[in-house]
Amino acid sequence: MTLDIVHDLQSVYRKLVDSTSRPGLISDLRKEAALVEEEDQKGCSASLLLLALTLFDQEVSFKVFSKQADSVSKTINQLTYAKPTEAKKADFLLILQDAEKGSLEEAIINAKAGTLKNPHTSAFIFVEVESVTNGEALLLKGPGIHSTELVHLDINENWVESRQEKNKEYPLGIDMIFIDQHHQLLSLPRTTQISRNRVMG
Amino acid sequence: MNTAYNFAFFDEGSKREIRRATLKAIAIPGYQVPFASREMPIGRGWGTGGLQLTLSLIGKNDVLKVIDQGSDESVNAVNIKKLVSDTTGVATTDHTTEATLIQSRHRIPEVPLKKNQILILQVPLPEPLRYYEPSESETKKLHAEKEYSGAWLMLFEQIMKYGSMTTGADHPVLVHDRYVMAPSPIPRFDNPKMHESEALILLGAGREKKVYAVPPYTKVVSLDFEDYPFEPESFLDKHCRLCGSTGVFLDELVDEGTNETFYQCNDTSYCIETLNEVEPFGVK
Repeated sequence: MTLDIVHDLQSVYRKLVDSTSRPGLISDLRKEAALVEEEDQKGCSASLLLLALTLFDQEVSFKVFSKQADSVSKTINQLTYAKPTEAKKADFLLILQDAEKGSLEEAIINAKAGTLKNPHTSAFIFVEVESVTNGEALLLKGPGIHSTELVHLDINENWVESRQEKNKEYPLGIDMIFIDQHHQLLSLPRTTQISRNRVMG
Repeated sequence: MNTAYNFAFFDEGSKREIRRATLKAIAIPGYQVPFASREMPIGRGWGTGGLQLTLSLIGKNDVLKVIDQGSDESVNAVNIKKLVSDTTGVATTDHTTEATLIQSRHRIPEVPLKKNQILILQVPLPEPLRYYEPSESETKKLHAEKEYSGAWLMLFEQIMKYGSMTTGADHPVLVHDRYVMAPSPIPRFDNPKMHESEALILLGAGREKKVYAVPPYTKVVSLDFEDYPFEPESFLDKHCRLCGSTGVFLDELVDEGTNETFYQCNDTSYCIETLNEVEPFGVK
Protein backbone atom coordinates (compact mmCIF):
# COMPACT_ATOMS: atom_id res chain seq x y z
CA MET A 1 0.00 0.00 0.00
CA THR A 2 1.26 3.46 -0.78
CA LEU A 3 0.09 6.82 0.41
CA ASP A 4 -2.96 8.15 -1.43
CA ILE A 5 -2.35 11.88 -1.76
CA VAL A 6 -6.07 12.58 -2.02
CA HIS A 7 -7.71 10.48 0.67
CA ASP A 8 -4.90 9.88 3.16
CA LEU A 9 -3.89 13.54 3.17
CA GLN A 10 -7.53 14.54 3.59
CA SER A 11 -7.59 12.35 6.66
CA VAL A 12 -4.40 13.98 7.98
CA TYR A 13 -5.90 17.41 7.36
CA ARG A 14 -9.09 16.57 9.24
CA LYS A 15 -7.03 15.39 12.20
CA LEU A 16 -5.10 18.67 12.03
CA VAL A 17 -8.39 20.58 12.04
CA ASP A 18 -9.66 18.54 15.00
CA SER A 19 -6.48 19.00 17.01
CA THR A 20 -6.11 22.71 16.19
CA SER A 21 -9.71 23.53 17.01
CA ARG A 22 -9.48 21.50 20.25
CA PRO A 23 -6.00 22.07 21.69
CA GLY A 24 -5.14 19.14 23.95
CA LEU A 25 -6.88 16.66 21.68
CA ILE A 26 -4.12 14.31 20.54
CA SER A 27 -4.61 12.86 17.06
CA ASP A 28 -3.22 9.54 15.93
CA LEU A 29 -1.47 9.56 12.54
CA ARG A 30 -0.15 5.98 12.75
CA LYS A 31 -2.38 4.67 9.98
CA GLU A 32 -1.32 7.31 7.46
CA ALA A 33 2.33 7.33 8.59
CA ALA A 34 2.60 3.60 7.90
CA LEU A 35 1.93 4.31 4.23
CA VAL A 36 4.84 6.74 3.77
CA GLU A 37 7.64 5.14 1.73
CA GLU A 38 10.80 4.43 3.69
CA GLU A 39 13.03 5.98 1.02
CA ASP A 40 11.21 9.32 1.22
CA GLN A 41 11.84 9.80 4.91
CA LYS A 42 15.61 10.44 4.92
CA GLY A 43 16.11 11.73 8.43
CA CYS A 44 12.66 13.14 8.99
CA SER A 45 9.81 11.21 10.57
CA ALA A 46 6.96 9.88 8.48
CA SER A 47 4.36 11.93 10.32
CA LEU A 48 6.27 15.18 9.81
CA LEU A 49 6.50 14.37 6.14
CA LEU A 50 2.75 13.81 6.12
CA LEU A 51 2.20 17.33 7.44
CA ALA A 52 4.52 18.71 4.76
CA LEU A 53 2.68 16.82 2.02
CA THR A 54 -0.67 18.03 3.38
CA LEU A 55 0.18 21.72 3.58
CA PHE A 56 3.27 22.53 1.52
CA ASP A 57 3.47 23.54 -2.12
CA GLN A 58 5.33 26.03 -4.28
CA GLU A 59 3.54 28.92 -2.56
CA VAL A 60 5.13 28.37 0.86
CA SER A 61 8.61 28.44 2.34
CA PHE A 62 10.13 26.44 5.17
CA LYS A 63 13.23 26.05 7.32
CA VAL A 64 14.52 22.81 8.81
CA PHE A 65 16.45 22.63 12.09
CA SER A 66 18.39 19.37 12.15
CA LYS A 67 21.85 17.88 11.90
CA GLN A 68 20.84 16.73 8.44
CA ALA A 69 18.99 19.94 7.58
CA ASP A 70 20.30 20.04 4.03
CA SER A 71 19.20 16.59 2.99
CA VAL A 72 15.82 16.88 4.73
CA SER A 73 15.24 20.27 3.07
CA LYS A 74 16.11 18.79 -0.27
CA THR A 75 13.70 15.88 0.22
CA ILE A 76 10.83 18.16 1.24
CA ASN A 77 11.58 20.53 -1.62
CA GLN A 78 11.59 17.68 -4.12
CA LEU A 79 8.37 16.19 -2.80
CA THR A 80 6.38 19.41 -2.40
CA TYR A 81 8.18 22.18 -4.35
CA ALA A 82 8.14 24.34 -1.21
CA LYS A 83 11.16 26.63 -0.95
CA PRO A 84 13.76 26.32 1.82
CA THR A 85 14.58 29.71 3.32
CA GLU A 86 15.88 31.36 6.48
CA ALA A 87 13.97 31.16 9.78
CA LYS A 88 12.84 34.79 9.75
CA LYS A 89 11.08 34.42 6.41
CA ALA A 90 9.77 30.86 6.60
CA ASP A 91 6.04 30.05 6.70
CA PHE A 92 6.82 26.73 8.37
CA LEU A 93 9.68 25.90 10.72
CA LEU A 94 10.50 22.26 11.28
CA ILE A 95 12.43 21.30 14.39
CA LEU A 96 13.60 17.72 14.06
CA GLN A 97 14.53 15.56 17.00
CA ASP A 98 18.24 15.62 16.22
CA ALA A 99 18.32 19.44 16.12
CA GLU A 100 20.81 21.09 18.44
CA LYS A 101 19.57 22.02 21.88
CA GLY A 102 18.21 25.54 21.81
CA SER A 103 16.94 25.23 18.22
CA LEU A 104 13.31 25.38 19.28
CA GLU A 105 13.83 28.55 21.28
CA GLU A 106 15.79 30.04 18.42
CA ALA A 107 13.00 29.13 16.01
CA ILE A 108 10.34 30.66 18.27
CA ILE A 109 12.30 33.90 18.64
CA ASN A 110 12.96 34.25 14.92
CA ALA A 111 9.67 33.01 13.51
CA LYS A 112 7.30 35.38 11.74
CA ALA A 113 4.56 36.54 14.10
CA GLY A 114 2.46 38.28 11.45
CA THR A 115 1.44 41.93 11.54
CA LEU A 116 -1.53 43.54 13.27
CA LYS A 117 -3.19 44.00 9.88
CA ASN A 118 -2.28 40.53 8.68
CA PRO A 119 -1.80 38.22 11.67
CA HIS A 120 -2.30 35.19 9.40
CA THR A 121 1.12 35.82 7.80
CA SER A 122 2.73 34.23 10.85
CA ALA A 123 4.68 30.98 10.95
CA PHE A 124 3.70 27.47 11.94
CA ILE A 125 6.31 25.60 13.97
CA PHE A 126 6.34 21.80 13.69
CA VAL A 127 8.29 20.08 16.44
CA GLU A 128 9.37 16.44 16.62
CA VAL A 129 9.41 15.24 20.22
CA GLU A 130 9.95 11.94 22.02
CA SER A 131 6.38 11.61 23.26
CA VAL A 132 3.12 13.51 23.54
CA THR A 133 0.54 12.22 26.00
CA ASN A 134 -2.42 13.45 28.00
CA GLY A 135 -1.32 13.85 31.57
CA GLU A 136 0.15 16.08 34.25
CA ALA A 137 2.68 18.74 33.32
CA LEU A 138 1.17 21.45 31.16
CA LEU A 139 -2.24 22.94 31.80
CA LEU A 140 -3.98 24.31 28.72
CA LYS A 141 -6.73 26.92 28.58
CA GLY A 142 -8.32 28.95 25.82
CA PRO A 143 -10.64 28.68 22.82
CA GLY A 144 -11.41 25.08 21.87
CA ILE A 145 -10.93 23.83 25.43
CA HIS A 146 -14.00 23.13 27.55
CA SER A 147 -12.43 24.02 30.90
CA THR A 148 -8.84 22.83 30.97
CA GLU A 149 -6.72 20.15 29.30
CA LEU A 150 -3.57 18.49 30.58
CA VAL A 151 -0.76 17.40 28.31
CA HIS A 152 2.66 15.98 28.86
CA LEU A 153 5.45 16.68 26.41
CA ASP A 154 8.80 14.95 26.52
CA ILE A 155 11.00 17.78 25.45
CA ASN A 156 14.22 19.13 26.80
CA GLU A 157 13.79 22.82 26.01
CA ASN A 158 12.59 25.95 27.70
CA TRP A 159 9.98 26.64 25.07
CA VAL A 160 6.89 27.50 27.14
CA GLU A 161 8.30 30.83 28.28
CA SER A 162 9.70 31.73 24.85
CA ARG A 163 6.35 30.96 23.28
CA GLN A 164 4.54 33.07 25.84
CA GLU A 165 6.89 35.97 25.16
CA LYS A 166 6.38 35.60 21.40
CA ASN A 167 2.60 35.41 21.70
CA LYS A 168 2.14 38.20 24.24
CA GLU A 169 0.66 40.62 21.73
CA TYR A 170 -2.35 38.66 20.48
CA PRO A 171 -3.36 38.36 17.59
CA LEU A 172 0.34 38.30 16.70
CA GLY A 173 2.02 35.02 17.42
CA ILE A 174 3.00 31.57 16.28
CA ASP A 175 1.06 28.33 16.05
CA MET A 176 2.81 25.15 17.10
CA ILE A 177 2.30 21.51 16.25
CA PHE A 178 4.06 18.74 18.16
CA ILE A 179 4.43 15.29 16.75
CA ASP A 180 5.98 12.35 18.57
CA GLN A 181 7.78 9.13 17.69
CA HIS A 182 4.50 7.21 17.79
CA HIS A 183 2.89 9.65 15.32
CA GLN A 184 0.71 11.35 17.93
CA LEU A 185 -0.10 14.96 17.08
CA LEU A 186 -0.79 17.88 19.40
CA SER A 187 -1.60 21.37 18.16
CA LEU A 188 -1.16 24.53 20.21
CA PRO A 189 -2.51 27.56 18.36
CA ARG A 190 -1.53 31.02 19.64
CA THR A 191 -4.78 31.35 21.60
CA THR A 192 -3.89 28.52 23.98
CA GLN A 193 -2.65 29.64 27.38
CA ILE A 194 -0.12 27.25 28.89
CA SER A 195 0.84 27.07 32.53
CA ARG A 196 3.08 24.57 34.24
CA ASN A 197 0.88 22.48 36.44
CA ARG A 198 2.84 22.18 39.67
CA VAL A 199 1.65 19.84 42.35
CA MET A 200 0.83 21.88 45.44
CA GLY A 201 2.93 20.51 48.26
CA MET B 1 -20.28 9.37 -8.49
CA ASN B 2 -18.81 11.13 -11.52
CA THR B 3 -15.19 10.03 -11.91
CA ALA B 4 -14.46 12.55 -14.67
CA TYR B 5 -13.77 15.04 -11.89
CA ASN B 6 -11.20 15.04 -9.10
CA PHE B 7 -12.40 13.74 -5.75
CA ALA B 8 -14.23 16.69 -4.17
CA PHE B 9 -14.03 18.61 -7.46
CA PHE B 10 -10.83 20.53 -6.60
CA ASP B 11 -7.29 19.77 -7.60
CA GLU B 12 -5.05 19.10 -4.60
CA GLY B 13 -3.28 22.47 -4.89
CA SER B 14 -6.55 24.36 -4.44
CA LYS B 15 -7.43 22.24 -1.43
CA ARG B 16 -4.04 22.89 0.16
CA GLU B 17 -4.45 26.64 -0.20
CA ILE B 18 -7.90 26.60 1.42
CA ARG B 19 -6.65 24.24 4.12
CA ARG B 20 -3.77 26.53 5.10
CA ALA B 21 -6.15 29.49 5.32
CA THR B 22 -8.61 27.45 7.39
CA LEU B 23 -5.98 26.40 9.94
CA LYS B 24 -4.93 30.04 10.39
CA ALA B 25 -8.59 31.00 10.75
CA ILE B 26 -9.03 28.46 13.55
CA ALA B 27 -5.89 29.77 15.27
CA ILE B 28 -7.19 33.38 15.19
CA PRO B 29 -10.92 33.14 16.04
CA GLY B 30 -13.05 35.72 14.24
CA TYR B 31 -10.24 37.06 12.05
CA GLN B 32 -10.99 37.01 8.32
CA VAL B 33 -8.21 35.16 6.52
CA PRO B 34 -7.98 36.00 2.81
CA PHE B 35 -7.89 33.05 0.44
CA ALA B 36 -7.79 32.59 -3.33
CA SER B 37 -11.45 31.57 -3.78
CA ARG B 38 -11.56 29.39 -6.86
CA GLU B 39 -14.07 29.64 -9.67
CA MET B 40 -16.89 27.24 -8.91
CA PRO B 41 -19.58 25.74 -11.09
CA ILE B 42 -22.14 27.84 -9.20
CA GLY B 43 -22.28 31.64 -9.18
CA ARG B 44 -20.34 33.69 -6.64
CA GLY B 45 -22.72 34.71 -3.91
CA TRP B 46 -24.58 31.40 -4.10
CA GLY B 47 -22.63 29.66 -1.40
CA THR B 48 -19.22 29.27 -3.05
CA GLY B 49 -17.35 30.12 0.16
CA GLY B 50 -19.16 27.45 2.12
CA LEU B 51 -18.87 25.01 -0.76
CA GLN B 52 -15.10 25.48 -1.01
CA LEU B 53 -14.72 24.85 2.71
CA THR B 54 -16.91 21.76 2.47
CA LEU B 55 -14.92 20.39 -0.49
CA SER B 56 -11.58 21.01 1.23
CA LEU B 57 -12.78 19.15 4.35
CA ILE B 58 -14.82 16.28 3.02
CA GLY B 59 -13.61 12.68 3.05
CA LYS B 60 -15.08 9.36 2.00
CA ASN B 61 -16.57 8.63 5.41
CA ASP B 62 -18.34 11.94 5.88
CA VAL B 63 -22.10 12.37 5.91
CA LEU B 64 -23.23 15.68 4.48
CA LYS B 65 -26.22 17.83 5.25
CA VAL B 66 -26.88 21.06 3.38
CA ILE B 67 -29.57 23.51 4.42
CA ASP B 68 -30.75 26.77 2.97
CA GLN B 69 -32.55 28.98 5.49
CA GLY B 70 -33.61 25.95 7.47
CA SER B 71 -34.73 23.88 4.51
CA ASP B 72 -33.04 20.73 3.22
CA GLU B 73 -35.03 20.82 0.02
CA SER B 74 -34.62 24.30 -1.43
CA VAL B 75 -32.92 24.68 -4.81
CA ASN B 76 -29.62 26.00 -3.47
CA ALA B 77 -29.27 23.24 -0.87
CA VAL B 78 -30.24 20.48 -3.30
CA ASN B 79 -27.81 21.62 -5.97
CA ILE B 80 -24.87 21.99 -3.59
CA LYS B 81 -25.64 18.54 -2.17
CA LYS B 82 -25.78 17.10 -5.70
CA LEU B 83 -22.47 18.66 -6.70
CA VAL B 84 -20.68 17.41 -3.60
CA SER B 85 -22.12 13.91 -3.70
CA ASP B 86 -21.51 13.61 -7.48
CA THR B 87 -17.83 14.44 -7.07
CA THR B 88 -17.22 12.54 -3.81
CA GLY B 89 -19.81 9.81 -3.55
CA VAL B 90 -20.45 10.63 0.11
CA ALA B 91 -23.82 9.97 1.71
CA THR B 92 -26.14 12.89 2.33
CA THR B 93 -28.74 13.18 5.05
CA ASP B 94 -31.52 15.44 6.28
CA HIS B 95 -31.07 14.40 9.90
CA THR B 96 -28.91 16.87 11.78
CA THR B 97 -27.66 14.27 14.26
CA GLU B 98 -26.41 11.93 11.50
CA ALA B 99 -24.36 14.55 9.66
CA THR B 100 -20.63 15.07 10.18
CA LEU B 101 -20.46 18.13 7.92
CA ILE B 102 -23.32 20.60 7.85
CA GLN B 103 -23.20 23.36 5.27
CA SER B 104 -25.79 26.00 5.96
CA ARG B 105 -27.08 29.22 4.54
CA HIS B 106 -28.37 31.60 7.18
CA ARG B 107 -29.40 29.18 9.95
CA ILE B 108 -27.86 27.11 12.72
CA PRO B 109 -29.93 23.92 13.10
CA GLU B 110 -32.33 23.59 16.05
CA VAL B 111 -30.83 20.29 17.17
CA PRO B 112 -27.74 21.18 19.24
CA LEU B 113 -24.52 20.40 17.36
CA LYS B 114 -22.08 17.84 18.71
CA LYS B 115 -18.35 17.38 18.97
CA ASN B 116 -17.95 15.25 15.86
CA GLN B 117 -19.69 17.78 13.63
CA ILE B 118 -18.43 20.80 11.71
CA LEU B 119 -20.84 23.57 10.79
CA ILE B 120 -19.95 25.49 7.63
CA LEU B 121 -21.78 28.76 7.14
CA GLN B 122 -22.09 30.54 3.81
CA VAL B 123 -21.31 34.23 4.13
CA PRO B 124 -22.33 36.96 1.67
CA LEU B 125 -20.68 39.90 3.49
CA PRO B 126 -17.93 38.87 5.92
CA GLU B 127 -16.98 42.42 6.93
CA PRO B 128 -19.10 43.65 9.85
CA LEU B 129 -17.67 47.17 9.48
CA ARG B 130 -18.41 47.48 5.75
CA TYR B 131 -21.74 49.23 6.41
CA TYR B 132 -19.92 52.38 7.47
CA GLU B 133 -16.44 51.90 5.99
CA PRO B 134 -16.25 51.05 2.28
CA SER B 135 -12.47 50.66 2.08
CA GLU B 136 -11.02 47.21 2.74
CA SER B 137 -7.63 48.59 3.78
CA GLU B 138 -9.38 50.90 6.26
CA THR B 139 -11.46 48.10 7.80
CA LYS B 140 -8.32 45.98 8.09
CA LYS B 141 -6.74 48.86 9.99
CA LEU B 142 -9.79 49.19 12.25
CA HIS B 143 -9.61 45.46 13.04
CA ALA B 144 -5.85 45.73 13.64
CA GLU B 145 -6.38 48.55 16.13
CA LYS B 146 -9.47 46.93 17.66
CA GLU B 147 -11.23 50.20 16.87
CA TYR B 148 -14.86 49.15 16.95
CA SER B 149 -16.66 52.28 18.11
CA GLY B 150 -18.25 52.48 14.65
CA ALA B 151 -19.91 49.11 15.16
CA TRP B 152 -21.49 50.29 18.39
CA LEU B 153 -22.37 53.63 16.84
CA MET B 154 -24.22 51.81 14.07
CA LEU B 155 -26.36 50.05 16.69
CA PHE B 156 -26.75 53.30 18.65
CA GLU B 157 -28.10 55.06 15.56
CA GLN B 158 -30.66 52.30 15.08
CA ILE B 159 -31.81 52.78 18.66
CA MET B 160 -32.05 56.56 18.17
CA LYS B 161 -34.06 56.15 14.98
CA TYR B 162 -36.29 53.18 15.78
CA GLY B 163 -36.14 52.68 19.53
CA SER B 164 -34.37 49.33 19.34
CA MET B 165 -31.55 47.56 17.52
CA THR B 166 -32.99 46.70 14.12
CA THR B 167 -30.50 44.12 12.89
CA GLY B 168 -32.84 41.39 11.63
CA ALA B 169 -30.00 39.04 10.88
CA ASP B 170 -26.21 39.24 10.90
CA HIS B 171 -26.12 40.99 14.29
CA PRO B 172 -22.37 41.58 14.90
CA VAL B 173 -20.60 39.57 17.58
CA LEU B 174 -17.34 39.95 19.48
CA VAL B 175 -15.26 36.77 19.32
CA HIS B 176 -12.76 35.80 22.03
CA ASP B 177 -12.79 39.44 23.25
CA ARG B 178 -10.83 40.51 20.20
CA TYR B 179 -12.50 40.57 16.79
CA VAL B 180 -15.90 41.92 15.84
CA MET B 181 -17.27 39.38 13.41
CA ALA B 182 -20.25 39.03 11.08
CA PRO B 183 -21.91 35.77 12.11
CA SER B 184 -23.36 35.51 8.54
CA PRO B 185 -27.03 36.44 8.15
CA ILE B 186 -28.31 34.01 10.77
CA PRO B 187 -31.27 35.39 12.76
CA ARG B 188 -30.43 36.93 16.14
CA PHE B 189 -32.15 33.83 17.54
CA ASP B 190 -29.11 31.75 16.47
CA ASN B 191 -26.38 34.10 17.75
CA PRO B 192 -26.30 32.57 21.26
CA LYS B 193 -25.75 29.12 19.71
CA MET B 194 -22.29 30.26 18.58
CA HIS B 195 -21.18 30.96 22.15
CA GLU B 196 -19.26 28.02 23.61
CA SER B 197 -20.52 25.82 20.77
CA GLU B 198 -19.58 22.15 20.97
CA ALA B 199 -18.94 21.98 17.23
CA LEU B 200 -16.35 23.85 15.20
CA ILE B 201 -17.95 26.61 13.12
CA LEU B 202 -16.28 27.65 9.86
CA LEU B 203 -17.47 30.58 7.78
CA GLY B 204 -16.65 31.05 4.12
CA ALA B 205 -17.25 34.01 1.82
CA GLY B 206 -16.50 33.04 -1.79
CA ARG B 207 -17.17 36.34 -3.49
CA GLU B 208 -15.28 38.33 -0.84
CA LYS B 209 -12.53 35.69 -0.65
CA LYS B 210 -12.42 35.30 3.13
CA VAL B 211 -12.61 32.39 5.53
CA TYR B 212 -12.96 32.70 9.29
CA ALA B 213 -13.77 30.45 12.18
CA VAL B 214 -15.22 30.09 15.63
CA PRO B 215 -13.52 27.16 17.40
CA PRO B 216 -15.54 25.14 19.90
CA TYR B 217 -15.85 26.54 23.43
CA THR B 218 -15.06 30.07 22.35
CA LYS B 219 -16.60 33.19 23.83
CA VAL B 220 -18.97 34.83 21.35
CA VAL B 221 -20.88 37.88 22.59
CA SER B 222 -23.50 39.76 20.56
CA LEU B 223 -22.82 43.51 20.64
CA ASP B 224 -25.24 45.45 22.81
CA PHE B 225 -25.57 48.17 25.44
CA GLU B 226 -26.16 47.92 29.18
CA ASP B 227 -29.54 49.66 28.89
CA TYR B 228 -30.41 48.09 25.54
CA PRO B 229 -29.42 44.45 25.93
CA PHE B 230 -29.22 42.10 22.96
CA GLU B 231 -32.52 40.32 22.44
CA PRO B 232 -33.10 37.35 20.15
CA GLU B 233 -36.40 37.19 18.27
CA SER B 234 -39.13 36.13 20.68
CA PHE B 235 -41.80 33.60 19.79
CA LEU B 236 -43.59 33.78 23.12
CA ASP B 237 -47.10 32.24 23.03
CA LYS B 238 -46.50 30.97 19.50
CA HIS B 239 -45.99 27.43 18.31
CA CYS B 240 -45.48 25.51 15.09
CA ARG B 241 -48.80 24.73 13.43
CA LEU B 242 -47.51 21.37 12.20
CA CYS B 243 -45.52 19.88 15.05
CA GLY B 244 -46.50 22.16 17.92
CA SER B 245 -42.89 22.98 18.87
CA THR B 246 -42.22 26.03 20.98
CA GLY B 247 -38.91 27.75 21.65
CA VAL B 248 -37.67 27.27 18.09
CA PHE B 249 -37.24 29.77 15.25
CA LEU B 250 -40.63 30.09 13.54
CA ASP B 251 -41.58 31.44 10.11
CA GLU B 252 -44.59 33.73 10.03
CA LEU B 253 -46.94 32.82 7.21
CA VAL B 254 -50.06 34.74 6.19
CA ASP B 255 -52.93 33.12 4.33
CA GLU B 256 -53.91 35.89 1.94
CA GLY B 257 -57.40 34.49 1.43
CA THR B 258 -58.47 34.44 5.06
CA ASN B 259 -55.85 36.92 6.33
CA GLU B 260 -54.98 34.39 8.97
CA THR B 261 -51.45 34.40 10.41
CA PHE B 262 -49.83 31.17 11.43
CA TYR B 263 -46.37 29.97 12.39
CA GLN B 264 -44.26 27.06 11.25
CA CYS B 265 -40.80 25.71 12.14
CA ASN B 266 -38.10 27.23 9.96
CA ASP B 267 -35.88 24.16 10.39
CA THR B 268 -37.80 21.66 8.25
CA SER B 269 -35.88 18.54 9.24
CA TYR B 270 -36.42 19.33 12.92
CA CYS B 271 -40.14 19.77 12.26
CA ILE B 272 -40.43 16.43 10.42
CA GLU B 273 -38.43 14.61 13.10
CA THR B 274 -40.69 16.03 15.82
CA LEU B 275 -43.79 15.03 13.83
CA ASN B 276 -42.46 11.50 13.34
CA GLU B 277 -41.85 11.16 17.07
CA VAL B 278 -45.39 12.22 17.89
CA GLU B 279 -47.22 10.39 15.12
CA PRO B 280 -47.21 6.74 16.35
CA PHE B 281 -49.17 7.74 19.43
CA GLY B 282 -51.62 9.80 17.41
CA VAL B 283 -52.38 7.19 14.75
CA LYS B 284 -52.98 4.17 16.95
